[in-house]
Amino acid sequence: MIALLLAHLVASLACLAPGRRAARWALPVAAVVPAATFGWLVSQAPSVLDGDTLTASLRWVPPLALSVDLRLDGFGLLMGLLVSGIGVLVLLYSTAYFGRRDDLGRLAGLLVGFAGAMLGIVWADGLLTLFVFWELTSVTSFLLIGFDDRSATARAAAVRAFLVTGAGGLSLLAGLIILGQVAGVTTISELVVDPPSGTLVSVALVLVLLGAFTKSAQFPFHFWLPGAMAAPTPVSAYLHSATMVKAGLVVVARFAPGFAPEGPWRALVVAAGLAARVVGGVRAMRQQDAKLALAHGTVSQLGFLMVLLGLGTPATTYAGVAMLLAHALFKASLFLSVGVVDHETGTRDMRRLRGLSRALPVVAASVVVAAASMAALPPTFGFVAKEKALDGLLELDIGGLGTIALLGIVAGSVLTVAYTIRIAVGLLGDDAPGVHTADEAAAEPVDPAAVHRPSMGFVAAPALLAGLSLVFGLAAGAVGGWLAEATASLDPATAEKYLKLWPGVNEALAISTGIILAGVAVWWGARRPTRTINAARSQATVIYDRIYDGLLSGARRVTAATQSGSLPFYLGVVLSTVAAALVAAFVTGALDSITDLVWADSALEVTATVLTALLSVAVVLVRQRFTAAVLLGGSGYLLAIVYLLQGAPDLAITQFLVETLTIVVFLLALARLPRRFQPGPAWAPRTVRIAISAVVGVTVAVFALSASGSRTEPSVGDDYVELSEKEAGGRNVVNVILVDFRGFDTVGEITVLAVAGAGVVNLVRSARRQQRLKQLPDGTELEEDAGRPTGVWR
Amino acid sequence: MSPRSLTRRSMILTETVNGLTPILLLFSVFVTFRGHNAPGGGFAGGLVMGAAVILRYLASGPSGIRSLRIDPIVLIGSGLLLAVGVGVTSVAAGESFLESAIWKFDVPLIGDVKLVSSSLFDIGVHVLVVGVVMAILVAFVEADDEVARIEDAGQSPRPAPGGQQDDPQDDAQEAGQP
Repeated sequence: MIALLLAHLVASLACLAPGRRAARWALPVAAVVPAATFGWLVSQAPSVLDGDTLTASLRWVPPLALSVDLRLDGFGLLMGLLVSGIGVLVLLYSTAYFGRRDDLGRLAGLLVGFAGAMLGIVWADGLLTLFVFWELTSVTSFLLIGFDDRSATARAAAVRAFLVTGAGGLSLLAGLIILGQVAGVTTISELVVDPPSGTLVSVALVLVLLGAFTKSAQFPFHFWLPGAMAAPTPVSAYLHSATMVKAGLVVVARFAPGFAPEGPWRALVVAAGLAARVVGGVRAMRQQDAKLALAHGTVSQLGFLMVLLGLGTPATTYAGVAMLLAHALFKASLFLSVGVVDHETGTRDMRRLRGLSRALPVVAASVVVAAASMAALPPTFGFVAKEKALDGLLELDIGGLGTIALLGIVAGSVLTVAYTIRIAVGLLGDDAPGVHTADEAAAEPVDPAAVHRPSMGFVAAPALLAGLSLVFGLAAGAVGGWLAEATASLDPATAEKYLKLWPGVNEALAISTGIILAGVAVWWGARRPTRTINAARSQATVIYDRIYDGLLSGARRVTAATQSGSLPFYLGVVLSTVAAALVAAFVTGALDSITDLVWADSALEVTATVLTALLSVAVVLVRQRFTAAVLLGGSGYLLAIVYLLQGAPDLAITQFLVETLTIVVFLLALARLPRRFQPGPAWAPRTVRIAISAVVGVTVAVFALSASGSRTEPSVGDDYVELSEKEAGGRNVVNVILVDFRGFDTVGEITVLAVAGAGVVNLVRSARRQQRLKQLPDGTELEEDAGRPTGVWR
Repeated sequence: MSPRSLTRRSMILTETVNGLTPILLLFSVFVTFRGHNAPGGGFAGGLVMGAAVILRYLASGPSGIRSLRIDPIVLIGSGLLLAVGVGVTSVAAGESFLESAIWKFDVPLIGDVKLVSSSLFDIGVHVLVVGVVMAILVAFVEADDEVARIEDAGQSPRPAPGGQQDDPQDDAQEAGQP
């Protein structure tokens, strides 16, 4: 499993590396990796369906107990087959969809990378492993939504989706950490076997659910998904119907059997799911763009799945998994069909599409079958799964919540039937009732005769997926058996479940019939909508944008308030903080440790110290910057003498050298500054500045004295002296400490130094680049510049 | 130190620096290697070499630095790479980070030679420190360039930076009467 995930990573990088040189071959070649995954999963299927689980573990950061834990169980197998199978189809389909473009290498690399991350989610067993792959899908999906990077809409949609799912990811991380800490485990499988409970667990579950809701576009986070339709259609078909939006459902499905009765889980799941179910359905009725209508329909379906999988009873879990499979098949097929229509006619506007049933017969057939599955008409797999779902909801005995869930789902299903008919008729019908609007004149119909004929390879993917929707429905018994074995890994109680194409006349069938009739009626009644809703301006998007803008302007205000750009202000804040911290330390009793105070070791030392102090005072008193710099250097040299007297020649040498270079640099800088000090800022008069300085000076001195007296353990210095020559072959123990014993510290210090140096150079160079940009319109400036020997410093 | 002041540069300083530079460079290397057994080390050695570079700037101005044709970023990067590389190598060899390895050779004519891996670490620190000193000089060189550019363009130089006050002796005299 780890090898397969690495193969995805390698393939992704290999496709990304050539940049714009990667040709069309990148897409089919990239498809090899998901295809291999699919083949491997099929080969593992018999043993996994028997109840075996495969595990793989990769130690990552052992001290943090961080490792990549993977586990292939029945549910992971099913999801893995969907991710890799649809992945292969989408990659092959993209080859025909995009034709010749120079950024296909990027697309192929991102799609394969995403497929790998998604496989990681469905196979993840480690709590942190789950989070890592979760974030990887957020990042790759961000890049894919914004694939058309010259479009401002696409970029905005990508940022919106990333911020929403990223925030959800953080919430998920917090939830997973709390759960792991409370239960004392690191893997999901251990967690659900023996689920902990309590207030803390309830909080954690709410956090986990928030993460799942954002990823699976549940209300009120549903708004990013229609926006994400800015991505190319194959990407939308893959990420936003079949895979990524299922990530939240995967988490919910894994946790629900153990945690559903806990705290507010069920209420939250039902509320968010039903809201998404109904809101998505209503909005899908008002779109003219077939892809957007499908996107809103996806929100609605995801709500349905969330309710089923989240309720956590064996019957609903089983029905939820069946529905998840059905949805992946029919929704991917419909998206891909719309992609073909868009490619061949140049529009997705249902007002303009005419006569496609004759022009694109294979696509039309796929749409009809997939739409039948979406509307849950027999004998499709969608119908079988929906019957099971209604059965499961009828069986619920969790009080009023179950009734609410059932009623909500029925209402949503009526809408589903209505918008499915609307989309199918809108795409294929000749006069397309239900999608006409007042401004019909503006929408010029597409001429069916002028429609380009797609190649067989292009329509193969939607046709295959639609065909599976039908075949699985006809073979409901066999598929149901496999699903029962797969679902047993979520909840062993589902092993007894089964699917039937025709379960006989029962309550669920009666409800289904009612739903279909009501759906047709709703479609007929709403076939002339008075207004359409622009996906980008939905209420939730407006609220999101307001929060986003508010956050940015708030951050600007906070920055403006705290980062004044005034050096005296910064120094004042830093020094006052130091003084306050030290005073606090003394108040709590750190002063007691000052013992055995030695005032001076020699007369020379006294002289040097007094001179240092005098020079320091003089620095404050002089008015010229130059004089102050020289005096400061003098006090530094005297300090070096004190070091030397105390027996620290290494320190003294360094102090001398640093002091020398500092003075020179000071003087070089002073040559470019006004000669005299400027008056202090008005908010800090002389008295305040003197007070801060005095307090800092006294407290730091006292702190140094008490720190040197507060030793409780014997010094390591003796050991260092003894080991220096033996272990590191050096007689200068100071240097040996720097380069060997405490070498790690030195590496840290020189890294800071390197960053500071590189920062100076880059600041200077970027300032010059900006200047060049300013001068660009003025040609003469550039010519002069070209004559200057600036090569080295560029 | 604007380019105008550089035109009346002291010949004595220039010649002194020219003579001192090789000695300083040699001395800086000596300080770095001496650190192993006596006071010194890579940081001090790097500062000495940095002082040599600064002297060159004082004597020859921006062109003196530019003619070195060394990018400080490259120095900083290679120094850090060498230092970290030594540490990582000892980890790869199964020791702890920066554990010293000691090799002893008997070289003909010279005698016993002892090499310690931590010397390489010190060399890395040395190179990095020189790079950082040069990085600071970049700021001054760029500022000089800007003044020169403005003057070349036939405009008057900026009033505040440089122009009025490039001769440190003026300040030294004023310093006597605060």
